[in-house]
Formats: sequence, C-alpha cells, structure tokens
Amino acid sequence: MKHIVIIGGGIAGMESACALTDAGHWVTLIEKEAQLGGKLNQWSFLFPDFTPAEKIKDTLFDKCQERDFSILLKTEVKSVQTHQKKFNIETFGGQKLEADAVVVSSGYELFDARRKEEYGYKIYDHVITSADLEKLLRPGSDLSVAAGKNPKRIAFVHCVGSRDEKSGNHYCSKVCCITGVKQAIELKKRLPEAEIFCFYMDLRMYGKHFEELYREAQEKFDIQFIRGRLSEAAEKMDKSLLIKAEDTLSGRPLKMNVDLLVLLVGMEAGKGTATAAAKCSIEYEDSGFLKTNDTFLFSNFSSQEGIFLAGSCTAPMSVNDTILHARSAAMEVNSWLRKQ
Amino acid sequence: MQNEGKQKIWKDYQKEIADDHYFYVRSCIRQNFFPGSEQTFLKILRAELNKDIFENPHHTTCSGIGYHSDIVPFDTIQTIVARQFALMTEAGYRNLAVSCITSFGIYNEIIETWKEFPNELEKIRNYLKKATGREFKIPQNVSHASDIIYKFREDIFARKKYSLTNHETGKPLKIVEHIGCHYAKMFPGKGVGGAEFPHVLVGMIESWGGEVIDYPERRHCCGFGFRQYLVMSNRGYSISNSKKKFESMEPYRPDAIASNCPGCPMFLDRWQYVIEEMEGKTYGQNGRGIPVLTYEEMAGLVLGYDPWDMGMQMHQTDVEPLLDKMGIEYNPDLKYAGKDGKQIGQVKMAGCKC
Amino acid sequence: MQLYEQLTQDIRFEEGLNSCMNCGICTAICPAAEFYDYDPRMIAGIVQSKDESQIEELLKSDAIWYCGECMSCKTRCPRGNCTGLIIMALRSLSQELGFFTESEKGRQQLVIKRVIGENIVYRGYCILPENLIPELHPEQGPVGEWIFENRKEVYKRVDANYCGEGTGALRKIPKESLDEIYQIFEITGGFERFDQIEHFSKLKARSMGFSDVDEEFTDYINHTYTTNNGKHNRP
Repeated sequence: MKHIVIIGGGIAGMESACALTDAGHWVTLIEKEAQLGGKLNQWSFLFPDFTPAEKIKDTLFDKCQERDFSILLKTEVKSVQTHQKKFNIETFGGQKLEADAVVVSSGYELFDARRKEEYGYKIYDHVITSADLEKLLRPGSDLSVAAGKNPKRIAFVHCVGSRDEKSGNHYCSKVCCITGVKQAIELKKRLPEAEIFCFYMDLRMYGKHFEELYREAQEKFDIQFIRGRLSEAAEKMDKSLLIKAEDTLSGRPLKMNVDLLVLLVGMEAGKGTATAAAKCSIEYEDSGFLKTNDTFLFSNFSSQEGIFLAGSCTAPMSVNDTILHARSAAMEVNSWLRKQ
Repeated sequence: MQNEGKQKIWKDYQKEIADDHYFYVRSCIRQNFFPGSEQTFLKILRAELNKDIFENPHHTTCSGIGYHSDIVPFDTIQTIVARQFALMTEAGYRNLAVSCITSFGIYNEIIETWKEFPNELEKIRNYLKKATGREFKIPQNVSHASDIIYKFREDIFARKKYSLTNHETGKPLKIVEHIGCHYAKMFPGKGVGGAEFPHVLVGMIESWGGEVIDYPERRHCCGFGFRQYLVMSNRGYSISNSKKKFESMEPYRPDAIASNCPGCPMFLDRWQYVIEEMEGKTYGQNGRGIPVLTYEEMAGLVLGYDPWDMGMQMHQTDVEPLLDKMGIEYNPDLKYAGKDGKQIGQVKMAGCKC
Repeated sequence: MQLYEQLTQDIRFEEGLNSCMNCGICTAICPAAEFYDYDPRMIAGIVQSKDESQIEELLKSDAIWYCGECMSCKTRCPRGNCTGLIIMALRSLSQELGFFTESEKGRQQLVIKRVIGENIVYRGYCILPENLIPELHPEQGPVGEWIFENRKEVYKRVDANYCGEGTGALRKIPKESLDEIYQIFEITGGFERFDQIEHFSKLKARSMGFSDVDEEFTDYINHTYTTNNGKHNRP
C-alpha cells in the first residue's frame, strides 16, 4: 500500500484524500487549523445558485468520515526531505512520516484590504470586505451592524487587490465578479429598499449560470453596474462614505455617498502556500501561486517529481474548480504511483 | 473612524530623515509669500535644536514652477538640480533639506529617474560640467523641511510656551491638515506616512496638543495647478478646487488649516478672501475665515515666537482668532508695523472680515 | 518621424504610459476633470491608439493644457501609469512643433515664458514680489496690495533679505550664479524651448491680426492672459 501525504485540509485536500483512499492508497491529511474545510468555513452561500456552503462542507465531511484515512489537525509541516524516491516529512509536533507521494493543497489567502489604503478598510467604520459581508449574510444576522443602520445605499468595489500593480497583484482573482453579483442580490433580497451599485472594470462571467445571474441582478433586482474603478473613499461626518470613480461609459467623474462600502477582496497565494513551496522545494510564479508543469495537460504536476498540486495554491479558483482540480490531482497521483 | 488602520500605515511608511548637517534649499513661493516661515525654520533648527544647517547664497530656484508649467525642458531642470547638488557637495554636505514641496517632488523624481536610467545621469553630469565646470554627488538623504520638524516634534514641544489647545477650556484645537500633492503622491515611500494618510503634519499637531480633523476632501489638491493659477483666465480652476475643500471641512468647524506646502497655504488663505468678496461666504467661526498656518508658523507659535516676527501679518485671512484661542500675547498695533515700530503704509481692509 | 514615435523619445512618456485599461481611476480624482470638460483617461486612450491624426488633433487642442500637474493620478493607477507625465510629454511636443498656438489655452505659454521663464534665467527665481501687481493679482487682496506697495519694508520686517547680498529669503542671486543658469539653459535646450515659444507665438499673433509694431507683442500677451471663451467647462 502506498502512502500519500496531503498538505492542507481545505476542500482540495479533503477531496483528494477521499479520491486517493478510494483508489486503494493510505492517506495522511495534514491541516494547520483545528478543523478541516479551509476557507469554505467562512462562506455562507455559494455562487451561482446560493447553495449553502454548509451543505457542501457537510457532504465533504461525511465523505471523509466514511473513509479510512488519517487526519492530523493543528499540525504544520516542518520539513520535507527526499530520500531514495521517498519523501520524509516531519511535523512541528515531532511526527515523522514517510510518503510515496505528496499533494500540496495549501490554498490561498484573502487579500488584506488594508493594503488599499485609499479605501480606508479598518479606518472608516463602514467599509467592509466581501468576507466580512459573507458572515452578515447568514440567516438571522443583523445587517445594520456594518453601517450602524440598515444601509440605504451600498456600493461594491470590484478588483480589490486584483489586476492592480499597486497591490503587487497583476492577475485576475476570477471569483470576485460573480461574488459581487451574488452578494448584491442577497443584500437586495434582505434590504429591498436599498440602492446597490457595483463598480467594475470588466465583468468576467466565465462560469455556468454566471452571466444569467448577472442579468437577473440587473433585471430582477435593479442592481446598478457602473464601469469605473473606485479611486478613493473618504468618511463623512455622519460616517457615510464619499466615493469617487469615473463613469467611464459616459466619460464623467462621479461622486457618490454610500452608507456601506463592500470591498471584493481577491485571492493571494499567501503564507501557507509560500511555506509549502519552500518546504517542498517546488517552484512558484511571480504571483506567488505554485508553478504547474504546464497550463493544459500537467496542471497537477509541480516542478518536483512525486509532488502534486491541487486547488487554489496554483491559481485563484472557485469551489467548483477546486474540487475538480483536486480530483484530477488524485488521478494523476494514482497513475504516477502505479508506474513506479 | 478607527486608528488601527492608520497606525499600520504609519508604521509601514517610516522614511529616513537625517538628524543633522543639512544643506538648505529655499522655496520661491515661500520666499515671496511667507518668507518669515523659512526664517522661523532656520531659527528653530539653529537656536532651539542646535543643528547645523547651511545656506549657500549661490543656490537658485530649482525652476520647478517653470518645469510644471512646461516652459522648462526636463534636461534643463535636471541640470539646474544637479547644480544645487554640486553646491551641496562642494560645501561638504550630504543631506538636503528642502523648503519647497514642488522642489522636493522634483528632487525625488530626478533621483529616481537617474536610478532607472543611468544614461540620463551621465548626460546630466556632462551638461553640468560643460555649463559650469561643476561635479556633484547625489544627496544621501533628501528630507522636506516638514520631515525635519516632524522628526524633532517632541524636542520642540519640550521647549513649548503654548500648545495647540484652547487656553480657556483646555480642549485641543481642531486642525485640518493639507499636504502638498508633490510631497508623497508621486512617491508614497518618500513621505512620512505615505500618500493616503500622511503622518507628517498629524504627528506635529497631535504631539503639540491639537486634534486632527480628517475631512472627506483632505487629499484633494488646493488647486494651484501651476498654469491654472499663473494665467489669470485659468484661475477659476484654482479657486473652485480650494472652495471644494472649504465646503468639505466647514462642518467640522476647524480652528485652523495647517499645510506643509509653500503654495497651498497661500491659496487656501487668499481664496477664502475672494470667496467672501464674491459670495459673502465665510468658512470660519463668527463670520470670519479659517486661519491658515504653515507648519513653521505652527511650530513657532508653540515655541512662543512673535506672530508678526514670523510674518503672520502677510496672511489675508486673519490669524488672530487662532492666536486668541491659544492665549498668545501679541500687540495688534504692531501688526502692520515695520522694524522701527512705525506703521508701514496703509492697509485697505474695507469689506474684508477674513 | 511619426508623432507617436516622437512622444516615445520623451523619458516621461516612457514612465507615464505602460498600457491603459480604461478604468477611469485617474479621472475620478482629477482636479482638472472636475472643473474642465476633460478626461485624462481619454488622453491615455488616444495616445495608446497610436492614431496619428488623433494625436495631432490632441497636440493642437485645449485638452492637453487643462491638467494642473498635481500628479494625483500617479498614486492610484493600477497599471503604474501617470497621465500627468503623458501630458508633460504632449505639451513639450506641442511646443516643439508649434501646435500649442492652435488652442486658446496653449497660447498662454508665451506669457508664462515671459514671466516665469525670464525670472528663472535673469533673476534665479520662478516668481518675484514685483510680479504680484495688484491689477493682475486681485486675489492677493488688500494685504497682497499692502505687501506689493511696501515690499522693501515688509520683507525687511520679517527678516527677508529682499534684493540684498548674501544669504536669506529673496536675496539677490549673484551674477556668477545667474551666468551658470544661463549656460545651463544654453546647453540643455532651455533657450531652444523659449525660442520655439516666441517664434510660433509671434507667427500666431500676426495671423490673429495683432500688430507687430510692438516687438514684445504686449497686446497679444494681454489677450492670452485674460481671454476665456467660456467653452472649457463641462456643460
């Protein structure tokens, strides 16, 4: 029986672990937090069909429960050494594991919105991130918490920390456009009186049902989409926010007063993935995301043989894409092990 | 508003400011409109802080206003700047203390250009050598004069006579800050606190007992716009931008506006007068204007310098409301007097309450 | 050489324009865009298009003279562009080719050259107290007028060294230093720029019917200094 160590117990790690167990291997899943699930634990409802994140998580948990593999929680990898085609993994807790293959599924981190100083996150009281809003969208939560009252005017800012040289992130985070559309609709459902504006540069509705949801947002929920990147926010005396953008389609500078500003924060490879890259001695790109052997046929292969990649440690990905990528990683590991 | 985010930013942008031995370069606008501020700066450094700051009478304008109104080519201003550096080098100094924000921006722009395009540096070395026979070293440290006051703000406060508080109530005075655009908007790392939440004036005001008011149009330009003010028929640009700031700060009832730029305080001062003349509108308390301070004047007041010695009579918007709040003793009869104590000419103040 | 190619010779153009994605972040906070019928994003767009006829039109237009060079755009651009720097390159080229005289705002370069330019070369300052003539600077108010009328005494009162020898505010810049500034202008193309401004302005003044009896073209200068056709602002 071959032993595979998976680093990172988010949804990519969970899905890979299940698939590899099904293929007849012994798996150890290492997670630094106290529970599995990663970032999925932070989301309430998923685009594009508002499936409760809980439901996906529970299904994945059940899948893991039903299978026999080892899970090490609150555990971090100290070192990964290669020795005679085996990987010797040591954890900070002093555990030593020997693996035939390694899967890195260390995931991503959300962009720290404080770095876009001009939007005043953690300075202006009523500026929140999409992750903050997600928590407020849970049933029964009080939306007035974020704006001191039920907000009458809300603006979403797309591309916060993405497609932005100033943040050091040139790439598109892919999921924020549709997240904005989803969250705008949810807010409108909860606050039918509120006016909602999305400030975007391009709306990248790449996935199944995404474009339809965008259309629904416009037609059914009267959400306004303004093509212009937000330049700055400033807090007024009543704590509302003065925001400035250009309505580029009419070619005019635009100033607006809003009660709540939501920053659609992008994805970064983050510390977890940087650490994994360092421990495993695998290559990463300028963006920090892990380098795959190619874009098309070898997207689960790292620069080192026997170390495989799954999920958003390689690029920004939706929940959907992550699960698919994790499954394909499991298949590649399985085929590779059989060839050994 | 929460301070947590601001504190992170202030921690992130701590620039190096030399602590002694400065070569001083003056500002054209400061010398014309607030020459007393430059004298105050030198006095504070020399008499209060015991610093060595050297001025060479041969230094000239950096030609920045000409450059930013596009009549001076880039090669020309680079060479003029190189000449200032040569004077600094020859005098044995390595730290530049810059009075002007436009110049400060230009020094930074040129030094950065030379880093990125070394050929450009070689070209300018040749130009300077050919034109003047001089050679130069790039300064080790370029600090704006406000950076230096910021660095020593606690030492200044240790010698204080007054603080930025209302002497009757003991409450902090509410001050809005205005940072010159070219201080950090081009190179955020060159300014204390960066471009979005500069700490350079905030630090002074808070250390000296005042309270800083952050208002929505804080970051907006005063409206100088170089050619937009220099040419009479363009001045609508200038006044409308200043006005936008006044309207935005008015609800907070600030006791004063402080600026670290040479031009901005002049515009924020003069346009208040013009708006009152045109529309009868005033932005301060009791139908008066909001006093506008240079940071040198603000430091000088804290140290107990005489406002008229510092040239505060050269403001169009009266500074007395602020002096009274701080409990500063001054002689109103000497406001427009000369060195000999006699009135200088006649000030026609009819119709201006500012 | 094509206009676009000429622009690329300017180091500020190289710094100012990488590639623009038309997000409008510059226009959003541009003091000029708020006041004038002006959109810096579109300037970047036109230049980026490399369309020669559009660039020529731009070089002859008022649009390139609206920017105040506050450089607020540089702080924000997600592509590291700076429309202010693009404008500086466009203005330089417009003056080199004489296109600046085709627009009301462009024609103002002559008066700026005459006052600021000559101050720099012959006095070592950009501005001087004697420039602040109350009729030309009514915004300086009664205090400004008082300073202007009594400048020797007022500057003395605040320890400035107006026109004096040695150090101090508004000191007289020594002749040998002014000679060096003169040489710098000579060698680095400063005077060439001045001559271009004078040359094309005089041609324009004549074609606009201003008399050339007065070699200084004072009437033309006064005209450019005070004329505003009222069509520059947003409708």
